[in-house]
Amino acid sequence: MSGLSTAVTDAIAAIEAGPQGPSVGAFFDLDGTLVAGYTAATFYGDRLKGRDVSPAEFLRTVVTAVDGELGGDPTRIAHVAFSAMRGESEEAFADLGERLFRSKIAGTIRRESRALVLAHQRAGHTVAVASAATKYQIAPVARDLGVEHLVCTRLVVEDGQFTGATDGPMLWGRHKASGVRAFAREHAVDLAQSYGYGNGYEDVAFLSSVGHPTALNPHRDLRAAAARLGWPALDLSDPVGGSLLAVGRTAAALAGMNAGVGLGLAYGLARGDLHEGRNAAIRLATHLPMAIAGVSMNVLHQERLWTHRPAIFVANHQSSLDIPVLGRLLERDFTIVAKKEARWDPRAVVGSVVIDPAWIDRSDSESARATLDGVVERIRSGTSLMIFPEGTRSATPVLGPFRKGAFHLAAQAGVPVVPVVLRNTGELMRRSSLVLNPGVVDVCVLEPETDWSVDDMSERIAALRTKFEETLARWPA
Amino acid sequence: MSDVSDEDVERWSGAAGWSSAPELTAMQTLLWRAERHPVQSSTSTVVIDLDRAPDWDRLVAATEWGTRLVRRLRQRVVDPVVPTAAPTWADDPTFDLAYHLRREQVASREEMLVHAAQIALRPFDRTRPLWEGVLFEGLGGGEGAGGAAYVLKIHHALADPLGTVQLLSMLQSGQRAHTPRKPLGDEVVAPVEPDPVDLAVTGFRTGVASLPGTVRATVRRVGLAATRPQLVVGSTLRYGASVRRLLTQAAPPSPELSPRTGRMWSFLTLDAPLEPLRSVARLGGGTLDDAAVALVLGGLRRYHARRDSTVAELPVGVRVSLDRADDLGNRFAGALISGPLSIEDPVDRVAAVRGEVLSLHTERALEVLDVAAPLLNRMPSFVGASALRTAEAPDAFVLTLPGPPHRRYMAGAEVQGMYVLGPLPGAALTVCLVTCGDTACIGVNVDASAVADLAGLAECLAEEVAAFAG
Repeated sequence: MSGLSTAVTDAIAAIEAGPQGPSVGAFFDLDGTLVAGYTAATFYGDRLKGRDVSPAEFLRTVVTAVDGELGGDPTRIAHVAFSAMRGESEEAFADLGERLFRSKIAGTIRRESRALVLAHQRAGHTVAVASAATKYQIAPVARDLGVEHLVCTRLVVEDGQFTGATDGPMLWGRHKASGVRAFAREHAVDLAQSYGYGNGYEDVAFLSSVGHPTALNPHRDLRAAAARLGWPALDLSDPVGGSLLAVGRTAAALAGMNAGVGLGLAYGLARGDLHEGRNAAIRLATHLPMAIAGVSMNVLHQERLWTHRPAIFVANHQSSLDIPVLGRLLERDFTIVAKKEARWDPRAVVGSVVIDPAWIDRSDSESARATLDGVVERIRSGTSLMIFPEGTRSATPVLGPFRKGAFHLAAQAGVPVVPVVLRNTGELMRRSSLVLNPGVVDVCVLEPETDWSVDDMSERIAALRTKFEETLARWPA
Repeated sequence: MSDVSDEDVERWSGAAGWSSAPELTAMQTLLWRAERHPVQSSTSTVVIDLDRAPDWDRLVAATEWGTRLVRRLRQRVVDPVVPTAAPTWADDPTFDLAYHLRREQVASREEMLVHAAQIALRPFDRTRPLWEGVLFEGLGGGEGAGGAAYVLKIHHALADPLGTVQLLSMLQSGQRAHTPRKPLGDEVVAPVEPDPVDLAVTGFRTGVASLPGTVRATVRRVGLAATRPQLVVGSTLRYGASVRRLLTQAAPPSPELSPRTGRMWSFLTLDAPLEPLRSVARLGGGTLDDAAVALVLGGLRRYHARRDSTVAELPVGVRVSLDRADDLGNRFAGALISGPLSIEDPVDRVAAVRGEVLSLHTERALEVLDVAAPLLNRMPSFVGASALRTAEAPDAFVLTLPGPPHRRYMAGAEVQGMYVLGPLPGAALTVCLVTCGDTACIGVNVDASAVADLAGLAECLAEEVAAFAG
């Protein structure tokens, strides 16, 4: 299961079959195309929440927005917003952009848009985001997608502060089109061979500048125009949002997890075997909540989870869902390493009773080493270890750098490393979200790697990380 | 030699079947009733350059034949006394070819163009067939054989510019020699001379007969609005927004092209080699229509620069197909775009025009006039006239028309160019580009009261033609 719709697979095949190299451009609109929804709305929502927006400014914004919808000048709303930013620090605004990206916008990047971007990157095309938004909205998204070029609206900054004016026109409608054409001239991009993706009615001029326009999740007016103009329309699935039902199911799932833990431990106590009790608790605590939340798994090479135990399981980390998912995969006889500060985190307490993590004190290297020695001992005696080598959850499916700890442990304990690639846990449960959405988690267990030693460790880690990346980019059938 | 060529016969039999609907269409009716010549005019003029003066008797005979082949040329419009029905075509029992076809002597082509503009400015006699042809002789200025020009003035109700060029292409001959025994269409039974009062009464009866259906449809629509208000309100608001965008969002008119009176027409003609125009169009990802608009904008850009004006864009009226974008479909809508004056590179200008024109296809209200025409036609004519005026007039209308692909002859004279000079409904200039063989014949009607330097404008347009030619 590739997880991509047939239409997207076909589009990617067409890109692969078409001309390659940097003279071919691929231009992506941001709002509604690369990401679902409007990044500007996220920014404005934050502004409403955090800082004071005067009733007059709010009213002006609403009236301008409604007028833009009713056939007035739709770019005026942006200019109202830009002039309200006068005097604000550019640096603070850029930081806000990063913060909102991590907390909100990252979760709205469409998986299939990401696949399209990647397909163009593999073809060596010159990929750019072409948007009326500002770089503070676009840059984090573009960086995450590995897109270097931005064709966007620029704001005038003087002495580190916004003046409230734009540098040149707002790149909306015809101005976006001419921005793209100017970019093509500068970068020797052949527009007749290039691709464009947009969703709004204002994108027609931009799309008509390229030889291969695609209306991506188009608004109804663009859809009508695309039909008339003979342009393909491509409908991508949106990242699932937290529906009320999902919220209810999440609560039930949490209750199920606790019930599972309780039942398992009770069973162990009754049998007088805490070890078996723990394993029963893991099974119940992972199966119950995932069943209640409507999350199932599609696992490739499940057998590799059992051939090399005890082992160190390494996985990429995007979501709080990763832990129950891995718990359900590994089923029994495993533990994790956690930092000492997390010990009294109320969410961890229940879990820690079940899997008895090795608590590590990062501030005290002496005691940390002692703990790790203890861990090595536990591994040798049959308990596998589960580690996220990225160290922290990433906001998007893009891999962070791998830390070496897990691999040192593998070398010391003399056990193999089993790589587990998790694809879409971040989509079912966003990074900062407490809501779990129903869906199928795609899991691929890679070939276990044995014989770790300090000598070639760095190269092998890099090679393994590349394997993760490749698996995420081209999900094996 | 005098044999009829197959191609000619085919074309001529096509002409016989040309436009035979008994009534005016809703759109033609709107234009017919709302006409306020010359300010709100529906009259087009075609100027045909000929290599020599054709034999007058032969031209008269050919025209006589043409009016028998295409009955419409002998028919007039009969309007009902009150607008309950569409106007009807009826044979004109008093048809007199001499009223419609005459000849004049001039000393030069410039003089001919001045005369042509004056002919165009004179209103039609609306009780007669709606065309007038004048052969101008002596264009060579007395030197040698000299050229001639045939000027045809035709009303939109009879033929729009596209239809006029089609009709002329169909009626002209593929050879210089005379074709005897030219075919005629089947003898059509002339419609009974309709009475305006009868027409009104019949129209009213039809209206009453269809009343129950109309009422049912209205009730259904009201019912829908009552049961699904969001849907109806939403789509109404979106439609209204689209109308508003179409009417208001083009650039404001250029101050360099005012004040317009619409009462002083001045005709210009230009020739441009077609191939370079087509290749610029291709490079910019556009069509010949887009290139024509870009060419006119380039000329106006030069004109504005010459007069130290810094206008960045101006409104241009274009024709958009309501079927598929690049088809020569049957349904067209006029719409305004903002034409850029700031782009120097012709290729980039074509691309920009292309984007503007295609963007119109997102507007659901593009066909608003088509939809509103039947309703407006039930109202007193001034309502339709003001509806047509609601739209902001563009600075320029630009239209591209396919002309004959091969050499054509009129009564033994070779056609050397065919220029369409459209009306000026509020615009400062109307430009029509007709493709004739390998040449684009560009006819420009200029509101002389709006353009301070007519000769300068002509030079600017010519310079732009040269720029397109590379």
